[in-house]
Amino acid sequence: MPELPELNPVIHGKLRLALLSLLAGVEEAEFTWLRAKTGSTDGNLGAQLMKLEEAGYVAVEKKFVQRKPQSIYRMTEAGREALQEYVQALKQLLGAAI
Amino acid sequence: MNANAEEMDLRERLDLMQKMIAEGRRKQESWGWTFVLWGIAYYVAFFWDWLASFPLAWPITMAAGGVLTFIGFSRRKYRAPETTIGRAIASIWIATGVSMFILFDAMGFGMHMGEARVFFAAASAMIGLANAACSLTLKWKAEFLCAIVWWAAAIVACFCNLVTAGVAFLAAIFICQIVFGAYMMVLESRQRRQVARHA
Repeated sequence: MPELPELNPVIHGKLRLALLSLLAGVEEAEFTWLRAKTGSTDGNLGAQLMKLEEAGYVAVEKKFVQRKPQSIYRMTEAGREALQEYVQALKQLLGAAI
Repeated sequence: MNANAEEMDLRERLDLMQKMIAEGRRKQESWGWTFVLWGIAYYVAFFWDWLASFPLAWPITMAAGGVLTFIGFSRRKYRAPETTIGRAIASIWIATGVSMFILFDAMGFGMHMGEARVFFAAASAMIGLANAACSLTLKWKAEFLCAIVWWAAAIVACFCNLVTAGVAFLAAIFICQIVFGAYMMVLESRQRRQVARHA
């Protein structure tokens, strides 16, 4: 029997998975847009984005627009690969479950 | 966690991913309000021009529509993220709007408009073109139906009398701007509720 794959724990968290999936469909996105789409609080969202950043899955650019701070997030190549691997593993696990 | 619960959890995650990826790619549904706004603007200009015979009714209303659209976008809580498709759709509508504004103003001031049917035919064909280009970009059949309605209005303007052409133009505005815009707004709020449930 083939060995079942492990799911990447960094991606497996629901909010982090939602964030990576959102960023997969866009070139870059503001913190406020990610917050609106996930319905998360500032603190939780910031913490989860930090984890993704530490894992090298997202990159952040902080700047000021009209004197207001703005954080722009984009998915890195490593993040894209990790998400693809996660999807493959998920499909394999679901295939095994059927 | 038993096997069934685990499978459900995995399926939920797959579903969440699909919803979020679609949310990121979603673009034109969030423009539903602009369709309704421009539909109302066309009606205002049409009746202002027809009832008061004011030659600047169209340019003034269209400029006001442009300003209101700009204000509407700038007052949004967040800037929509950049996507290639998003840029393509925005380009199509901006280019169409600017072309129509320049062409019809030039034709009007240059006294080349002749009769209103020329305007109905050209405007309908141009808006039909923008709808068709967007629908092909987004692979969205519902919007292609709008393009067909606009093109039908353009044909009616060429072959029927002024009253019939005017009615066809007003009907196209109602179906393709107001009804379709409201449909887009309903779609957007439904998708927003779904995403909130899954996130």
